[in-house]
Amino acid sequence: MIQIENLSFGYGQKRPLFKELNLSLPSGNIYGLLGKNGAGKSTLLKIISGLLFPTDGTLDVVGFRPKDRYPHFLNEIYLVTEEFHLPSIKIEQYLSLYSPFYPRFNRSLFDEYINEFKLPRDQKLNALSYGQKKNFLLSFGLATDCKLLILDEPTNGLDIPSKSQFRKIVANAIHEDRSFIISTHQVRDMENLIDPIIILDEGKIVFFENYERISKKLSITRQAELPDNNTLVYAESYLGAYTVVTENTNMEETSMNLEILFNAVVSNKSKINEIFKR
Amino acid sequence: MQLKNYFDGSRFWLLLKMELFRSRKGLLMLFVISFGLLFFGGLLLDCAMEKKKVFDGHPSNFVFHLMIGGFILSSLAFNDLNDTLKRYYYLTLPASTFEKFICMWLLTSVGWIAVFTITYTIYTLIANAIGSVLFNDMTFLAFDPLGNSSLTTMKSYFVLQGIFLVGAAYFKGYVFPKTLFALILFFTVGGILAYFIMGEEFFNHDCGVGKCAVLYEVISHDIAVVMQWIFWWVLAPVCWINTYLGLKEQEV
Repeated sequence: MIQIENLSFGYGQKRPLFKELNLSLPSGNIYGLLGKNGAGKSTLLKIISGLLFPTDGTLDVVGFRPKDRYPHFLNEIYLVTEEFHLPSIKIEQYLSLYSPFYPRFNRSLFDEYINEFKLPRDQKLNALSYGQKKNFLLSFGLATDCKLLILDEPTNGLDIPSKSQFRKIVANAIHEDRSFIISTHQVRDMENLIDPIIILDEGKIVFFENYERISKKLSITRQAELPDNNTLVYAESYLGAYTVVTENTNMEETSMNLEILFNAVVSNKSKINEIFKR
Repeated sequence: MQLKNYFDGSRFWLLLKMELFRSRKGLLMLFVISFGLLFFGGLLLDCAMEKKKVFDGHPSNFVFHLMIGGFILSSLAFNDLNDTLKRYYYLTLPASTFEKFICMWLLTSVGWIAVFTITYTIYTLIANAIGSVLFNDMTFLAFDPLGNSSLTTMKSYFVLQGIFLVGAAYFKGYVFPKTLFALILFFTVGGILAYFIMGEEFFNHDCGVGKCAVLYEVISHDIAVVMQWIFWWVLAPVCWINTYLGLKEQEV
């Protein structure tokens, strides 16, 4: 689906961001792309979508070089950015103008999503609330049946019911020929949805693992005292106790906490690397 | 190289329809302003103030409005690229860069010439009829859209419009004034260079009213002939190619 080899990119010569980045993303997954502000998440998504051009390296996305922005490539990707513009027209007009550009656009599926999100059809799109606009774009993107759906901070601005609708709809829409990449800071919203997890830090992929392997290798527990052994990876004190990330030595599966996992990876990369290399 | 990666008739038609729909309000406004100015300023005010026997202002008004209106329209051709958020959608819309370019080129060159000329011709018929009623001692000359002067104006617009398309593809915001500024800069530099090269010749000869030997010499010089040929046959294609390349290299 996505093959990135030795990719380099920078905003001008003085601000290199990626240097010889390698990444391979097969289809059929909902990838979670996590990273601190400025880590390069949005830039990577823009490069994948053909909106930014790498300075070096090769990039293959659904069989195309994104830089060419061929229509058949653009048919197969749909990007929902954190901030967006929607024209001052109603849903029906939008559909009649834009959906014909996507040959596999599924109208009935779109109607289903619109109903699930309870979006008003008689209002102009620019008059909808931020969350409704986002849900509209998500519905449209899913209905295009594109092979790669890229969502940048999709749950920002969504109310609680919309967040669970979002999770349900996205989880049901994935199939083996398509992939979703979700970039987010709202990791709690994405628990049990994104798998594998990709963590980007300072322009490098510092972590790329699936849930199964993470829970086999790491244990996240809440303890009254800090463990005094060399299995400790990361600990956070909260309300008089510690949330502790340790190497999973007894192979017991523990519940996943993406926020803690992220902090553990970013603050102790070498230990994490060591554990996952074993 | 697959042709469908660059051009597909049905996809192009979709794009054309979409662009027409999106720009409908702007176009309507441009026409209302143009023809409002033409009727009230160019015809009624002119007739009332000038006290002429014959109104012959249609050809010159046609030149001015076709050119200025068209240049403004061409400057707005890739307006989506000026807005960061619209830019995402324009660049990821599943149509090729070539189709996006051809679509805007067609609308702002041939499309504008055809629509404006037809509308202008209809306007002159109506304006002349109203003018004859309001100023019954005046004669209103008809406008000939296929006359020599009109055709030369259309040809000149067709060539010059490319410059504003280039501006639309490269400048971010305020495309029309920026392009005008670039043109003024270009001609200023060109003028200074010409002065240094040919200034002596110009200053050391007599130039009477209606006759200027050196000027005739310059106009009929091989270089001037080549320049004219470049203007009519090279300038526009070079501008179009540059516009296409500018679009192709757009990033967010």
